[in-house]
Amino acid sequence: MTKKSTLTINKLKTYFSKPQNVILLLFGIVLTYTTVAPIIAIVRDTFKIHPGTIDQFLTKKSEGYSAANYVDLFTSKLAKVNLWTPLLNTVMLAVLTCVISILFGGMVAFLVTRTNLRFKKYISSIFIFPYIMPQWTLAVVWQHLFNSNAVTGTSNGLLTSLTGITMPLWWCQGLFPCAVVLGLHYTPFAYIMIGGIFRNMDANLEEAATILDTPKWKIMTRVTLPMIKPAILSTILLVFGSAMGSYPVPHYLNFITLSTKYVSMNSKYTGEASILAIIMMLFGIMILGINQMSLKSRKSYTTVSGKSGQISKINLGKAGQWVIAVILIFVTFMTSIFPIALFAIETFLPNPGDYSFLYTRDISHLTTKWWLTRGNDAGALYGQNGILFNGMILRALKGTLFVSIMCALIAGTIGTLIGYAVSKNRRSRWANYVNNIAFLPYLMPSLAVGAAFFILFSNGRLNLFNTYTLLVIAGVVKYIPFASRAALNSMLQLSGEIEEAAIIQDIPWIKRMTRIIIPIQKSSIISGFMLPFMTCLRELSLFLLLCTQGFILSTTLDYFDEMGLYAFSSAINLILIVLLLVFNALVNKLTGASLDEGIGGN
Amino acid sequence: MKKRLMTVLAVGCIAAGVAAGSIYAEDTKSIIEQAQEMTLEELAAKAIEESNGATFYGVGNSSRGKTALPTFIEYLQTIDPSYNMEFDWQQPKNNKIFEQLQADSLKPSGTFAMTLIQDGNQIQSKMADTGILDTFIPKEWAEANGVTAADYDGFLELQLLNKVFMYNCTGDKVYDNCWDFVAEGSHPLFMGVDSEIVGKNFLYMLTKDEYAQYLKDAFDALPDEEKAYFQPTIDAEAEDAELFGLGENGAYALAYIKLWVGAYNEQTDDGPICQTLVDASATDQSGLLVYSKLRSVEESAAVSVNNIKVAAYEDGYEGFGGYGYCHYLFVTDNSPLPWTACAFISYMTTTAEGFDAWGKDMGGYSSNPEVAAKIEEIYNHKQGGYNEAGEDEFPAKDDRGKEWWVNDGKLIVEDPAYCASVDFTVGSWVEMLDHYTGEEAAE
Repeated sequence: MTKKSTLTINKLKTYFSKPQNVILLLFGIVLTYTTVAPIIAIVRDTFKIHPGTIDQFLTKKSEGYSAANYVDLFTSKLAKVNLWTPLLNTVMLAVLTCVISILFGGMVAFLVTRTNLRFKKYISSIFIFPYIMPQWTLAVVWQHLFNSNAVTGTSNGLLTSLTGITMPLWWCQGLFPCAVVLGLHYTPFAYIMIGGIFRNMDANLEEAATILDTPKWKIMTRVTLPMIKPAILSTILLVFGSAMGSYPVPHYLNFITLSTKYVSMNSKYTGEASILAIIMMLFGIMILGINQMSLKSRKSYTTVSGKSGQISKINLGKAGQWVIAVILIFVTFMTSIFPIALFAIETFLPNPGDYSFLYTRDISHLTTKWWLTRGNDAGALYGQNGILFNGMILRALKGTLFVSIMCALIAGTIGTLIGYAVSKNRRSRWANYVNNIAFLPYLMPSLAVGAAFFILFSNGRLNLFNTYTLLVIAGVVKYIPFASRAALNSMLQLSGEIEEAAIIQDIPWIKRMTRIIIPIQKSSIISGFMLPFMTCLRELSLFLLLCTQGFILSTTLDYFDEMGLYAFSSAINLILIVLLLVFNALVNKLTGASLDEGIGGN
Repeated sequence: MKKRLMTVLAVGCIAAGVAAGSIYAEDTKSIIEQAQEMTLEELAAKAIEESNGATFYGVGNSSRGKTALPTFIEYLQTIDPSYNMEFDWQQPKNNKIFEQLQADSLKPSGTFAMTLIQDGNQIQSKMADTGILDTFIPKEWAEANGVTAADYDGFLELQLLNKVFMYNCTGDKVYDNCWDFVAEGSHPLFMGVDSEIVGKNFLYMLTKDEYAQYLKDAFDALPDEEKAYFQPTIDAEAEDAELFGLGENGAYALAYIKLWVGAYNEQTDDGPICQTLVDASATDQSGLLVYSKLRSVEESAAVSVNNIKVAAYEDGYEGFGGYGYCHYLFVTDNSPLPWTACAFISYMTTTAEGFDAWGKDMGGYSSNPEVAAKIEEIYNHKQGGYNEAGEDEFPAKDDRGKEWWVNDGKLIVEDPAYCASVDFTVGSWVEMLDHYTGEEAAE
C-alpha cells in the first residue's frame, strides 16, 4: 500500500515536473469552466420563466422552470418567423460568405503568389484593410452608395445623386449585400491561408502535369485545388461561425438572421431568444466536430519539399498583368481607400449624408462643426459635443484600449502557453481536449457567446454587466484560439532537440521559453498577440450585450450609426483605422511580423 | 450532530438573507412614503445628509439624465456649499435596461439609485408587478396636478414625447388623413417595432376604444374610392377583433395595424428618418418620428426643414397625428441612495431647471403643468420656427404644445396597463403580420 502510494506520488511528481503538464492541467480546468459554464447558464435560461415574457403568459407562473419556450418556439404559429426563416437565412449567409471570401481571397492569393501581376506589394498590403475595419462600416458605406428614394424609400445615395442610376432592391438590402460585405471582410483570412500554401507550393507537381500535356483546367482541379484544400477548410472553419454570429451587418442591410432575431426577441421572448443562441452555438460545436473528422480523414498533401525552391510564375501577358492589376486596385480602392475617404468627408458634411457640396460644387456647404463644437446645447449636434471635445468618445477610446491591451496580453500569453504545451504532448488525449476546448469559443458566434456571458455574470452574487472585467473575460476566452493556433502551428515546426539541448544543460523552463523558444518563433507568437488586439479593438457582436454605449468605441460607433450621426461614427472609424495601422506598423517595425507577411509583399 | 448544526446554520443564513432583503424593500418603500410628504427643500437636506461624497448611479433610456445630474448637484450646493457627489449615468441599448435592472435587483443593495425609463408595458409586467421599481410621487408635483400622492395610482411621468407624422412636400402628394399613410404604395419610414418597443405599444393602443374611434372617424371622412380599398381589410379583421374582445371599432384598429406593419419601411433610428425626409430627393416620402429631431437639421442646398410638413398641422387633416409615450421615473427597490433618488426625481419634475435638460427641445412636455408653463416661457417653442426678424421661417418647428397635440392632434397616448393587458392577444397577432420588405418598391 505504501509502495503504491509512493509510486503514485512519484508519478505525480514526474508528471508535474514538466511545465507543459502543469499548463495543460491548469488551463484545461480553467477553460472548461469559462467555456462550459456560460453554455450551462444559457441552457438553464431557456427553461427559466421570465416575468413579463411569453413563458409567464403560457405557464401562468411568474417563476420556476418550464419547457414552454421550446414548445412555443418550435411548434407555435410563429415558428417560421422566429426560427426557421432566420435559421435558413443565417446558414445561407454563412455559406455564401465562405464562398465569396474563398473565391475572391483565393483568386487574389493565386494572382499575387503565382503570376507576374503588377503592383503585388501594394495589392497585398491594401487587401487586408477590410478585415482591419469594423465589419459594418462597409455595410454603412454600401447604404451611402446604393440607397435611393425610388428603391429603398430613403434619400438618394451617392450613385443615384451623381448619376441617376438606381440599383435593384436585392442589391441594396438582404442576403446579397450582407454576403458581399461579410465576404469582403473575411477575404483576408482566405488570402493569408491560401496564399501561404501557394507561396510554398512545390511547383514540380504542376510542372510534371504540364510535361504530361495535361490541360490547364485539369491541372487546376486535380493538382492545385487539392493542395489548397486544407487552407480552404481552415478558412471555412474561421469564417462560417463568424459570419453566422454577425449582428451589425444584417442589421444595417435589413436581413433577418438568428443574431438579429435574438436581439429583437429578447424583450418579449427572452427564453426563446436563448434557444436561438444555443442553436448558433450548436453550429460552432458541429463545425469543430467536422474539423476533427476532416483532420482524421484528411489526406496528407506535402506542399513544401526539398526539391524545388522556385515556384514557376504564370505569365499573364503584358496586357493581362496590367489589366488585372488595375481591376484589383480599383476593387481594393472601393473596399479600403474609398470608405476611409468617405469617413473623412462625412465629418465635414452639414447634415449626415448631405453631399450637396458635390453637385453644387460649393465647398462653403462643408462645416467643421462636428469637430469643433463645444457645449452641448448646440442643437445641430443632437446635444453632443464636437468630436475633439466629446467626453463619451474619449472615455470609450480609453476603455477600448484598456480592454484590447488586456485581452491581447492575457489571451496571447495563455494561447501561447497552450500552443506550447499541446505541441509537447501531441498524442495525449487531454492535450487534444484542451486544444479543442480552447478553440471552441472561436467557432461559436460572438453574439451567442456574449449572451451566455451576460447570463452567467448577471446574478445576485456576481454582477459584472458593464464592467471592463466582463469584457476582458469574454474577450480573452473568445480570442485565445488566435494565439493558441498561431503558437501551436509554430511550435510544431520546432524540433524537440532544440529544447532538449537546453534541458540537458539544466536551464530552467522560464529561461528556455524566453531565451530560445519565443525568440525563434517570435513572429507567429506576436501574431497571436496582435490578432486578439486588432479584433478586440473593433469587436461589436461579442460586447453588444455586455456593456452600454459609450463604454468602448465599437458600441459608441454603433450607437452613433444607429442614431444616424455618421460624422461621429465616421470619426470613430478613422480613429480605429489609424490606431490599427499605427500598431500594425509599430509591431512590423519592431519584430518584422505583419498580417500579410510573406505572401505578396516580400 | 454536525449535520443538524449545518442545517440550522443554513436555515439561519437563508432567513437572514430573506430578512435583509425585506428590510431593504421596506426601507425604500417607507422612505418613499415619508418623502412623499416632504417638500423639495426637505428632501434636499436628506439627500445632502445621505450622499455627500458618495457616487450616484443612474440608468435611463435618455442620455439627458447625465445633463440633469450636475445641475441637481449645483442645486444641492446652493444649500450646502461643501456638498459634492460623483455620478455615473448609463444608457443601455436594445432593451437592455430591463435586464440590467433585473440583474441589479438581485443584489441586497443595488448599484442603481433610480431610473428614467420608457415602455410602460414592460415596466408594468417586468418592473412594477415584480416589485423591482417603486413609484415616488413628489409633493409639489402632486399639488400641481391636483392629486395626492396617496390617491395617485400610476407611474410618475417625467415627460410625454411625441412621434408625429411628417411628409416630404417637395412633390404634389398630400397626406390629409391618417389612412393615407397605409394606402397602396405608401411606405412611411419608421423605427422597427422590435428595436423600439414603444412603437409596438403604439400599435396596441390603437385598439383601445377611444383611439379606434379616431380611426373609424378618419375612415368615414375618406372619399368612397379610398374607402373601397380599405374596406375588405377591415371586414376581414372583424372576427379577430371579436376574438380579442375589442370594442365596436376594433376591426378598424386591427386593419390599420395590419396595413401599417405591411407598409412601413423600417429604419434604425429616428435620426436617419429625419435626415431622409428633409432631403429634397425624398419627394413624397413620409415618416412617423420623434418631433424634436427637426431641431438638428442644418439648412443646405439639398436639405431644409421646409422640405417637410407636419401632417397634423395641415388644415383639414383627419385622424390621429402621431403617438405619445412617456419617460417614467422610479426609485429602485434596493436603491443604495433612496433619499437622494427621491430628491433628484423631485428636482426634475418640480423645477424648470431640473427639467431644462429636456425642456429646451420641442416635442417633450413636462408632466408638471407649472414646469411646462415655465419652460414655454423660457424657450417659446410655440414659435420655434420664427427667425430673429419675427417671421415664421420654419412653420414645422412651431410646436403647438401638449394640450394641442393630445386634443386637436389626436395623439395616441401610451397606457401601460392597457398595453400589458393586450400584450399576448393583440401582441401575438402583431408578431404574425407580414412586414414590408421593399419588394413592392423594387417592382
